[in-house]
Amino acid sequence: MNKALLTLSIMILSGSLLAQESPITPRAERIQISEGPEVPLVGGYLTVIRWTVNNPGGLPVHYGVVHYGTDPKNLSQTAKNPIRLNPYHSSTVFRVNLYNLAPKTTFYYTVKSMDSRGKSDGVTSLMKTFTTQ
Amino acid sequence: MREKRLIAVMIVCAGVAAALLFSTRPISAQNHEHEKGEPPFPLYNPYPPGILPANLESEIARVLREIDVIEERAIQRWHSLPLPTRLATRPGPNPPVLKDTGTESIETLGELMLFDKNISPGRNQACTSCHMPYAAWSGPIPSVNLTIIAYPGTVHFRAGKRTAQRHTYAPFFPVLQYNQEQGLFFGGNFWDSRATGYRLRDPDAEQAQGPPVDTQEMGFPDTACVAFRLSQAVYKPLFEVLWGKNSLDIKFPQNTEEICETPGGAAVFGGDPEPIKLTPEERTEANTVYDHWGASIDAYEQSTQVSTFTSKFDAMLKGNYTFTPDEQAGYNLFNGKGNCNSCHVDGRGTTLKPGQTDTSTTATANPPVFTCFGSANEGLPLNPRDAFYYQTTPDSFGFIGNPFGFGYRDLGMGTFLRSGFGSGPNPNRTWIQFAPMVDGQFQVATTRNVAMTPPQCPTTEAGTGKPYFQKEFFHNGYIKSLKQLVHFYNTRDTSFAKNVTSGHCPEGTIERVTCWPMKEVPNNLDTTTGMLGLTDTEENQIVAFLETLSDGFTSPYPNSDTFTGACMTCNPATDPNCSPSRQGNGELIPTPPLPPCASAICGVAPVPSPPIP
Ligand code: HEC
Ligand code: HEC
Repeated sequence: MNKALLTLSIMILSGSLLAQESPITPRAERIQISEGPEVPLVGGYLTVIRWTVNNPGGLPVHYGVVHYGTDPKNLSQTAKNPIRLNPYHSSTVFRVNLYNLAPKTTFYYTVKSMDSRGKSDGVTSLMKTFTTQ
Repeated sequence: MREKRLIAVMIVCAGVAAALLFSTRPISAQNHEHEKGEPPFPLYNPYPPGILPANLESEIARVLREIDVIEERAIQRWHSLPLPTRLATRPGPNPPVLKDTGTESIETLGELMLFDKNISPGRNQACTSCHMPYAAWSGPIPSVNLTIIAYPGTVHFRAGKRTAQRHTYAPFFPVLQYNQEQGLFFGGNFWDSRATGYRLRDPDAEQAQGPPVDTQEMGFPDTACVAFRLSQAVYKPLFEVLWGKNSLDIKFPQNTEEICETPGGAAVFGGDPEPIKLTPEERTEANTVYDHWGASIDAYEQSTQVSTFTSKFDAMLKGNYTFTPDEQAGYNLFNGKGNCNSCHVDGRGTTLKPGQTDTSTTATANPPVFTCFGSANEGLPLNPRDAFYYQTTPDSFGFIGNPFGFGYRDLGMGTFLRSGFGSGPNPNRTWIQFAPMVDGQFQVATTRNVAMTPPQCPTTEAGTGKPYFQKEFFHNGYIKSLKQLVHFYNTRDTSFAKNVTSGHCPEGTIERVTCWPMKEVPNNLDTTTGMLGLTDTEENQIVAFLETLSDGFTSPYPNSDTFTGACMTCNPATDPNCSPSRQGNGELIPTPPLPPCASAICGVAPVPSPPIP
């Protein structure tokens, strides 16, 4: 039995599921971005940045955080959105919404994530870029 | 000396109040009118034409008749109940438990209270005016659910601002707590968790203390009016069995009936929350009665009369029902691609590999209630149909429901933590600092019974060929069908997201189908869902699964047979909105240009960050 499964079964037996509050999720051994970041939507109004982390684990709510800007040396803007981890999923999709970006402009960005108490998940992406329409 | 002066002032105030009462309203004449079946209060209608549903008055009357039927059944139940055994001598030092039928007695008392329309100034509204069993104890009037979404109170037509939540499983929410380790809130009742349970240690019991004195609901001007009306109730003897022989013998002043006949918020009270002048001892007694009111109602709502665990899903857990392929696929999506059980926790291990077995015996021992008891902002658009926005002028009592009009924004839990406008006082000052983190958040509702309808209208969805019962979904009722609800979760943050308010979707798009107006509160938007990539079929399968969560499958749901209104029907050949996707689109209205968020809401420290437009 691997460690994650063990934790899961201990959780179940210890009744944290009985109370049905969000259970604490087992943490992957090496946390890493397994997909993305990518930009599935570049819109005049809404732009979406998305990436997948194998499993940050821990507290039920995590925040995806995007630092972005038009100057690669100064990512002056920050956007973040909370997500709830799924205790039964082996990976977690983070998604951050950016609104009303200037048109026909190239943006640079990096992504990271943290838990609801602000503790970093310890993964940061390389800088990436996209251009609005 | 000081005390004496205070008393003198009080007497003068009471005198003025009484004089005003008598001078502004001919009270006896009003009683007389009421007996003839006419509305007890002058009509309040600040609504532009087309906002109120045409059949509102007759539908309210219809629900009151249904309420009387159930109250009569509850009276029968009470009369057929053997008195609990009160042991003359207690073996050992035991608490005073009412043996044998104590449980049934308190539950029946709660039921009698819930269906008692005398618990309102106009004797024209019970709790269940807004919560009927056949709609799983949510809003019973299809035309209200389709339009103004908020239910009128004792004064027609003052109305609240949010959808009436289901009673089922509400008592399972724990006392509101801030979990230090997780930095998150859990528990409480109401969409914004303002019924915290801090004092009675039971959010559901404290919840029941809200509506009787909510100006837009049952609307008593003083909590002691509940004790006063209970002292006149037919079921007073049952109350005394439970809560003590003389527990309702409070010496109420002469003018108590007049006061309790006058809706809360009336200018005559000058903002006095306790216009009934009781001695401190009697005030304490009245408060105790009010606590017992809450406890009795909670007992009923938690009982197997209400929270029954009798759905297809429960039967499936016990091995007595096999999901259809669509229901099973929907369940898998709910736990998988849809990610719904991140919040609507189903209490089971779900991503089992072939050969693994689910060892979580919890499922049958303690069936899941499909909520994590937390809160989240799902980013609903502002619903301009909501009756609240229009109550900007005083009614005949001088009361104004919403002086801010469309400057009102519903920040949910954030406004509660700030003890702000339209919520309740926050009893824990250490929580205030967290307000900006929970702006826009509402309670993760249980998904159980979201699909429950009266038996003769077997679905919530239009255009399926079956008669349907129009419900309203989410805290502001913007969503009108379960198909739309799942589609919203699926596509909210896709190219369908538009920089418009409701009623202004661009040419070539269809609101709620290919256009989602901007979020009322963008702060703290949860992105667990919003871009799920579900196909149309997969959306429908999740709807099919949600429909397995309605109680009444393994045994009939109590009092679900009482709906006497009309089911809805529509013809897809002639009505373009006769489909689950477009249901209710005929009733969309353009949102007026929105004034900025009122400073009484968005300007209260610690202010929302970033600021809310
Ligand atoms: C005028 C309509 C109306 C009346 C009357 C009314 N309610 Fe409600 N009820 C609502 C609305 C609207 C909400 C949600 C309000 C909010 O969250 O701000 C609600 C919420 C609730 C909830 C919360 C459930 C949860 O999951 O948190 C319970 C329980 C409830 N009502 C019970 C009662 C009881 C008991 C009474 C009578 C004492 C009552 N209601 C009277 C409209 C009404
Ligand atoms: C991040 C947590 C979260 C996730 C994930 C989530 N929900 Fe919800 N759900 C909520 C909240 C919060 C509400 C109440 C929102 C409101 O009224 O503003 C809610 C309400 C509901 C309701 C009840 C609506 C009502 O009027 O009573 C249903 C049904 C529902 N969700 C189904 C789903 C389905 C299906 C999914 C997956 C596609 C899902 N939810 C995913 C948090 C979540």
